[in-house]
Amino acid sequence: MDRLTSLDAFKAFTARLAMDPGRALPVIVISAGTCGRAGGANDLIKMAQRTILEDNLTHRLRLRVTGCHGFCETEPSLLVEPNRTFYPKIQPQDVARVVRAAARREAVGDLLPVDPRSGKPIETQEDLPFYQRQHRSVMARNEKVDPRRITDYLAIGGYGSLIRALEKRDPAWVVGEVKASGLRGRGGAGFPTGRKWEMLAARSADKGKYLICNADEGDPGAYMDRSVLEGNPHSIVEGMLIGAYATGATAGVVYVRNEYPLAIQHLTLALDQAREAGLLGEDILGTGFSFDIRIVKGAGAFVCGEETALIRSVEGEMGEPRQRPPFPVERGIGGRPTAINNVETWANIPLIIQEGGAAYAKTGTASSAGTKIFSLVGKVKNTGLVEVPMGMTIKEIVFDIGDGSRTREKIKAVQTGGPSGGCIPVDQFDLPIDYDSLTKAGSIMGSGGMIVMDEATCMVDLAKYFMTFLKDESCGKCFTCRKGTQRMYEILDDISKGKGTRETLDLLKELAEAVKDTTMCGLGQTAANPVLSTLRYFREEYLAHLEEGRCPAGVCKDLVGAPCQAACPIGTEAWKYVAHIARGEYEEAYRTIREANPFPSVCARVCSHPCEYKCRAGTTGGEAIAIRALKRFITDRIDPSIYKPVRSALPPGMDARIAVIGSGPAGMTAAHYLSLKGYKVTVFEKVSQPGGMLTTGIPSYRMPRETLQKEIACLLDQNVTLRLNTELGKDITLDGLQKEGYKAVFLAMGAHKSKLLNIEGEDLDGVYPALEFLQAFNLRGEKLAKRRVGVIGGGDSAVDAARVALRQPGVESVTILYRRTRQEMPALQHEIDAALEEGVKLVTLVAPVRITTENGKLAGVECIQNRLGDVDRNGRRNPVPIPGSEYAIPLDTLIVTIGDIPDVEYIASMGIAVDQWGTLLVDKGTLLTNKPGVFAGGDVITGPNTVVAAIAAGKKAATMIDRYVRGEPFKQPPTIRLPEVYLAPPEEGEEVQPQEARIALPTIPVTERRVSLKEVELTLGEADARREARRCMRCDLEFTRPPAEQGKNTERTEHPSHGSV
Amino acid sequence: MAKVVVASKALKPFDPAQAAKVIESQTRDHGGLISILEEIQLHYGYLPEGALRLVAEKTGRDLVDVYGVATFYRFFSLKPRGEHQISCCLGTACHVRGGALLAEEFQRQLGVKPGENTPDGKFSLETVACLGACALGPIVVGDGHYYSNVNSSRVKAIIQETLEGLKRKDPAADESLFPLTLHCPHCNHGLLDPDTPVDRQPSVRLLLAHQGRQGFLHLSRLYGSHGHSTQVEVPAGEVTDLYCPHCQALLNAPDDCPACGAARVALLLAGGGVFQVCSRRGCLEQTLDLDGRSF
Ligand code: FES
Repeated sequence: MDRLTSLDAFKAFTARLAMDPGRALPVIVISAGTCGRAGGANDLIKMAQRTILEDNLTHRLRLRVTGCHGFCETEPSLLVEPNRTFYPKIQPQDVARVVRAAARREAVGDLLPVDPRSGKPIETQEDLPFYQRQHRSVMARNEKVDPRRITDYLAIGGYGSLIRALEKRDPAWVVGEVKASGLRGRGGAGFPTGRKWEMLAARSADKGKYLICNADEGDPGAYMDRSVLEGNPHSIVEGMLIGAYATGATAGVVYVRNEYPLAIQHLTLALDQAREAGLLGEDILGTGFSFDIRIVKGAGAFVCGEETALIRSVEGEMGEPRQRPPFPVERGIGGRPTAINNVETWANIPLIIQEGGAAYAKTGTASSAGTKIFSLVGKVKNTGLVEVPMGMTIKEIVFDIGDGSRTREKIKAVQTGGPSGGCIPVDQFDLPIDYDSLTKAGSIMGSGGMIVMDEATCMVDLAKYFMTFLKDESCGKCFTCRKGTQRMYEILDDISKGKGTRETLDLLKELAEAVKDTTMCGLGQTAANPVLSTLRYFREEYLAHLEEGRCPAGVCKDLVGAPCQAACPIGTEAWKYVAHIARGEYEEAYRTIREANPFPSVCARVCSHPCEYKCRAGTTGGEAIAIRALKRFITDRIDPSIYKPVRSALPPGMDARIAVIGSGPAGMTAAHYLSLKGYKVTVFEKVSQPGGMLTTGIPSYRMPRETLQKEIACLLDQNVTLRLNTELGKDITLDGLQKEGYKAVFLAMGAHKSKLLNIEGEDLDGVYPALEFLQAFNLRGEKLAKRRVGVIGGGDSAVDAARVALRQPGVESVTILYRRTRQEMPALQHEIDAALEEGVKLVTLVAPVRITTENGKLAGVECIQNRLGDVDRNGRRNPVPIPGSEYAIPLDTLIVTIGDIPDVEYIASMGIAVDQWGTLLVDKGTLLTNKPGVFAGGDVITGPNTVVAAIAAGKKAATMIDRYVRGEPFKQPPTIRLPEVYLAPPEEGEEVQPQEARIALPTIPVTERRVSLKEVELTLGEADARREARRCMRCDLEFTRPPAEQGKNTERTEHPSHGSV
Repeated sequence: MAKVVVASKALKPFDPAQAAKVIESQTRDHGGLISILEEIQLHYGYLPEGALRLVAEKTGRDLVDVYGVATFYRFFSLKPRGEHQISCCLGTACHVRGGALLAEEFQRQLGVKPGENTPDGKFSLETVACLGACALGPIVVGDGHYYSNVNSSRVKAIIQETLEGLKRKDPAADESLFPLTLHCPHCNHGLLDPDTPVDRQPSVRLLLAHQGRQGFLHLSRLYGSHGHSTQVEVPAGEVTDLYCPHCQALLNAPDDCPACGAARVALLLAGGGVFQVCSRRGCLEQTLDLDGRSF
């Protein structure tokens, strides 16, 4: 392009650009920033070009290759103007269809994104929930320009703000506008930009004055500066030119990270083009104003985020900070006055001059004007760069724009401000984001990193992560920073290994505060933030590491060992039996299972398998090992008698009898382990069969009765007596039992009462609480369901009831009504799938308002449609009724449950403390109730929970009762169980990769299921089982060594430290 | 224009005369120690001891200052690096999505710790704090190529791909390669030569001159293929002059190559548009502008 030598020449040129007839053509926009390219944008570009050439569409549409648009999660994507049709995650082979349709100004329906709520396709980019609530004044320009074309920038009015400033011929006016805008530095500290400029303008320019654009983006996890520099470099050039005009600066520097090659490339090109066009350099547009910009590449040092260190680095020296004052505005580069602003701040300048400072200040809050770009990343569904007005709440950003958690784990916190910032827990997500509110909450705005963390993120590990970073990045000048970060790291490392006590946390806090108070620069002063804020909000998590030897998130290796084992409430060494299966050692596998679990066949069928959710084959991108199916394979094949438990005897003369109330998994487990320790145990069961909920609640097509009875029979040894049809409160009392000589009582009655809706008509004929319905069938064979059946609820008992109803004669249809969406149903996902396969209908987002009657008999239920409203504390959206959407569902049977509760009204009269829902109150550490010698565990204290949790409670009760009876202290140091036994991976046979598909569990045909109570799931074949077992990633091998290597260097690889690119 | 030296795979031995030239050019451009060292590292892949001494001597600085800068910044390396670089991101966003586990997997499979080279000199492994593609983490970069959403099961394949280099695409199978029909922008003469096929297609024939030698250069007409044959052997990294074989006009485009700064050649596309290719041997930069708008 020719050099423009006057303001008029500039205007004439841009007027010509505006008249380009090509501007009316449809445009295919391809986002090809670093993230777009990482996602495969280059292939899209080529396919689009190919189609345009082959179909001869050069004159029918245009192609624009741009920087990042912000919705990085959907890369590679296409945007078609002018309709603004957006196509996420496009495959190269689909590009041709989009291009051809665009030439006809049409959209390709099947490639459009689908609204997860309504299920309808979304026609334009603006309608995507991700963009709807954003206010994209900086980011929106990225998609409008090819960053390698100055003409694109000029065509959207680029450099117009510079012209406006030049035409005013009044630098002070420019400074005034920036001051009026209320713009504060977007790089972290939030210093008012206008004030900084005013100070610089006041300095003499005799020996030169400098402007710096800080593009060193030190916060690992924030990348908006890269995106803006890469996607719209001219906006930075223009911003700096305006700044130079306003302050009288003579030269500019862009200090940019070496890790951003594309940004450097685009900026270099932009500077060349601007110079060539007469917009940069000597005598800009013939006005006599001169200013030039050069690029300095940062060589990687976080401390260079500190102004004084950055200046040293620009000078080519070691980036050590120095004392301020003097501030850079007084003495900066080479001792000359210097003002530093970061990329995003500079990008806002042209906008301010264009619309005026006062207009700009209307967006945002009183103390923090304008918009802010956040890099919304981590465990959130929609990741990317989001630009929102200051003052928006974290909740809106994370849940409305980000659409909540990307995994089944709940969101726990966000981390803002990078290594200098802190964490904000989910219960404070109503916090409106601006500089001051974040500081008050113990974090900082920083450059806008917002890393979303879920329950699988460990806060101790996160603090340790930041301290690893900071100790490596500390420049070492201040002793307290150099040593303090090192020492904090060491303490955190100890905590992550379970070493330390409560006092360790006090020491850590004290140290953190000392570092904060006694260091010179920003790095040191803020280095304590990650520690202090996690200690402030997540102390419980720290304590779990120290006092229980447990990392709740399952991250800290030295406490977790193999994730499957750590996830199992009863500590089953899943990795070990899976390895045995791979090696064909089935009896060994059985022993491993049985060692931890007295109910192996039960758990092989109905366990909620938390191990699979934590399985590394699943959490690192593939599918979890089918651990439950493998357990089933073993328990179906191996005779239980091969396992001989270790028994011990009580000391002579000590004869202790224990009473257990309830013969469900919690009660029977406690009885079993107490028996192994030599106690005489009597188990009292209210109904005619043992098994508790396993018998009364779980239908036989999931849990065949014969298998269940066999398993219970195995546990009834010489020390255990079972007394059926004996009910506490009627046949026996607590005082009575204690008088009879029982040394301790374990209450494990479960939760056998369905929580009802509390609406009129629940006592009608044909309306049943789910557990009553199930019990009638499971114990007495009564078939209560008739014709059209409705089930209200979304938990396991609702799904069980629905599937049982479906198997009863005379039932025409079964419909489950649930108030939220399918994703939120608490029932096991594969059980819901099975129910749907069998023909159960599922209606979600409805709530019953009223039970309708006809002649005093049940006629149906009137429902109201719900929509998803605000997010609750658990990150779930609350259902909100839509007024006027009521409709009637005719029914002949209605089964109701919205959760189960203990049925123990009598217990309070025996002096046991109960909460408002009737669950028993116990000390969580000991399971002791308020009555001496009386323990309680399982569903009766938690409400409905999993079978494996009940078994865990039984085991714990046995330990605690034993300690109680022997008079030993309840509290004992935690044991950390890491894999110990080395099991070599099988040598023969083909190699199976973890990413191969997970084995599907065989089942009986659907047609057969509706007419019988046969067990639905079948056993895996041997070849399948061994193959599945060989997919295991063998996390245990990180902890064990072959016998030959033992004693040699067994040090494991440490957390890698930060090197360079 | 920033100069980026196209990295040649083989390590260059330290050559004091060459290093002196680098130092002088940077001192002339008022670059501080950092930019001098950057240039040297770009050239050698690391900072040889001899070069550090030379920098001290030429700039009149103490060796300890030079060493101080060289060790302060993560970018600099005092030991030679492997032929191929694998960088695992350990930025916060990548960390919470399993970056550390992934880095460990690379350590295990390569058998080295971050900052080290494999004994055969093939790989060096690095960990970095953020590569700016946080939304798609964990990120791994193999010789400049970004891999997003990486999980441990892909580690093996990434190592293999980095070792082999981005495979030259198979022109018969790859849909993203397509033929261009090109003309000289000066005489508008067609440039296709059916007699010397490249990628089994008529090639684009140009006249190449390099250090006094001349001959034809036949480029693949498949956009994205980079296939070519030539009569003049040109070492990698050298810049050549390219002419129209019909009107003998120098084909240089107004803008230099955005990747390496060498001159680019611009050719006209039948049906409108401009195809540009870099004149430096080994630089793969190509662009295709269908609407043919110049800057
Ligand atoms: S944190 Fe890994 S790319 Fe930013």
